[in-house]
Amino acid sequence: MIKRASGWLCAALAAVAAASAFAQDTPVRIGYAIARTGPWSAGAQLTQEPNYVMWAERVNAAGGLNVKGKKRKVELIGFDDRSEAETVVRTYEKLMGSDKVDLILPPWGTGANFAVMPVIQKYGYPMIAPTATGRKLLAMKNPYFFAILQQPDLMMNALAEFFKARNVKTAAVIHVDELFGLEQASALEAAFKEKGIQIIEKKSYPLGVKDLKSVLNDIKAKNPDAFVALSYPPDTFLVTAQAREIAFNPKAFYASVGTAFPIYRDKLGPTVEGVMGLGTLNPKTSAAAKAYFDAHIARHKKEPDRWASAHAWAALQVMEQAVAKAWLDRKALRDAIASSEFDTVIGKVRFRNGENVSTPGVVSQWQSGEFEVVWPPDRATAPAMHPKPSWR
Amino acid sequence: MAFWIELAGSGLITGGIYALVAMGLNLQYGLMRIMNISHGEFLMLGAYLTWLAHVAFGIHPVAFLPVVALALFATGLLAYRLCFRRILRTSPSVEAIEARSLLVGFGLMYLVQNAAYLAWGADMRGYSFLADAIEFGGARFAANGLVAFGFAVAMSLGLIALLRWTLVGKAVRAMMQSPVGAQLVGIDTAVLHPAVFGAGLALAGIAGALLSMVYEITPGMGEPYTVTALIVITLGGLGSASGCLAGGLLLGLVEAFGMHFTSPSLKMLLSYGVFIGVLLARPKGLFAR
Repeated sequence: MIKRASGWLCAALAAVAAASAFAQDTPVRIGYAIARTGPWSAGAQLTQEPNYVMWAERVNAAGGLNVKGKKRKVELIGFDDRSEAETVVRTYEKLMGSDKVDLILPPWGTGANFAVMPVIQKYGYPMIAPTATGRKLLAMKNPYFFAILQQPDLMMNALAEFFKARNVKTAAVIHVDELFGLEQASALEAAFKEKGIQIIEKKSYPLGVKDLKSVLNDIKAKNPDAFVALSYPPDTFLVTAQAREIAFNPKAFYASVGTAFPIYRDKLGPTVEGVMGLGTLNPKTSAAAKAYFDAHIARHKKEPDRWASAHAWAALQVMEQAVAKAWLDRKALRDAIASSEFDTVIGKVRFRNGENVSTPGVVSQWQSGEFEVVWPPDRATAPAMHPKPSWR
Repeated sequence: MAFWIELAGSGLITGGIYALVAMGLNLQYGLMRIMNISHGEFLMLGAYLTWLAHVAFGIHPVAFLPVVALALFATGLLAYRLCFRRILRTSPSVEAIEARSLLVGFGLMYLVQNAAYLAWGADMRGYSFLADAIEFGGARFAANGLVAFGFAVAMSLGLIALLRWTLVGKAVRAMMQSPVGAQLVGIDTAVLHPAVFGAGLALAGIAGALLSMVYEITPGMGEPYTVTALIVITLGGLGSASGCLAGGLLLGLVEAFGMHFTSPSLKMLLSYGVFIGVLLARPKGLFAR
């Protein structure tokens, strides 16, 4: 009996010794869940996961992540969340609770990030989200959650400032009936009120709507200076095509998520000329941005979008730099992310109370096939085209 | 006046597409009791084929419609052979056919949708086609929507005429009324069954091709259309092709006028309101005999 027990002990000790020796060369395991199928996947597969894949390959090609002065390769453990919030939560529970991965990367979208926030706090894994926007998330005061995308009030303030500078007096607003649309709409109302821009029409519509012509016709009859659609991708395409169809030509035409997608330009062609929307940068912004676009096209044979894609890349850069400082001690890593300033593709990034306070709100506009940044002036890559030319 | 034309016009355009999508499913479910829940996935395949032909080879989407119809017809024959023939042969009752084909349909849905994700990725795709507006008495319509509407209504009317006035149509109707009786009078059900199933998918494919001219496409685009098709079929009456057309157009009009006079956010409420109203007043559908 004793002999047998000591045999077990020896084996166990040997295993531990082997494991610790082996640990020097084990890869850093990074887990995440993301939509590869279902309604979220169009956004997730454009904006987010291609960046994860490209980042892991680049880090490994350079020898690996710098952990305690040692280079360790990165291993991505990604699962399809099938665009279901409960699958997101279950997958992260598994990754952090039983698989005990070293780090995690965020899922796609405000809803999925919102769903997983309690779990990351429970297990203490820092997460830098490039596709979560909404004050509700930050109001949860989760110390492990960092939002690197501009929040609604920043984007809407920038739009209000731009409109004021261009003497826009009246605006009509439609918004999608989702957390995103509601948050943006209330931020927009506050911003426009402050700048004295009158909202003469405000209507909501459901996700998946296939016809908004009658709404646009009503708005056309009221002749506002500006039209703002706080929209998701399918409806962004829809309002653009239908505004052109009924020849509704306001001085400014703004639509939201999807305007920054290359497919928006490719599907609608010259129609998009002069349309404004949510964007952060384009290849002209900086040499780093140009390098990022080139690398993305070389790896994935497609362009990234001009808004959140770069934020996804920046979030990975922040993670990499923070690991070099704090290694894989997740508490220290969280503190490093919370307290340092990072150099990224979107410029300097610093977080305060979980919010990226370095990247300003931006207004972009399609001009001859490029989504030019037109506001704020110090980030602009081209002067704004105002009033917008008639639909082509 | 222009305002009313525009409102009614957009309702009819949407409704025409609804009718065409429903028409294919009605052939399968209304007439054959095959509950093919993957109907929308074949619509998606039609959309992707058209997109691919247009983007990769520059083929005109309208000229490509017959190819899509043939390709989907062939796919239909294959799906029938592999999945549904056995169910029809072994099921003891019509109810059993419905239940079993529903399960198989779910499987097919995942299979086809995921195959599309594998083949083309999750990205949105699309191409610009006849986006210019055409004016009618002050009302403006995008040409691609009008083309889609024209084909949808023409296909629906063609199918109605085929079922009503031709010998083949009579055979199909006879077969649905009584499979055994049809065999007794010399109708070859072994040929007709798969052919009708294939025709259902061909119609789904054409609907998808028409939709790709107007909207952007994704592998998940089909599911909502399956749901709408089920509503339209129930509105019009199971197995009634003319009911299907009327039901589709009615749904489109109700949505357009309802959304205008209330709020777009009430779209679902309006569609289901009509649905429930019809179910209460005429449980077998508007056009059931």
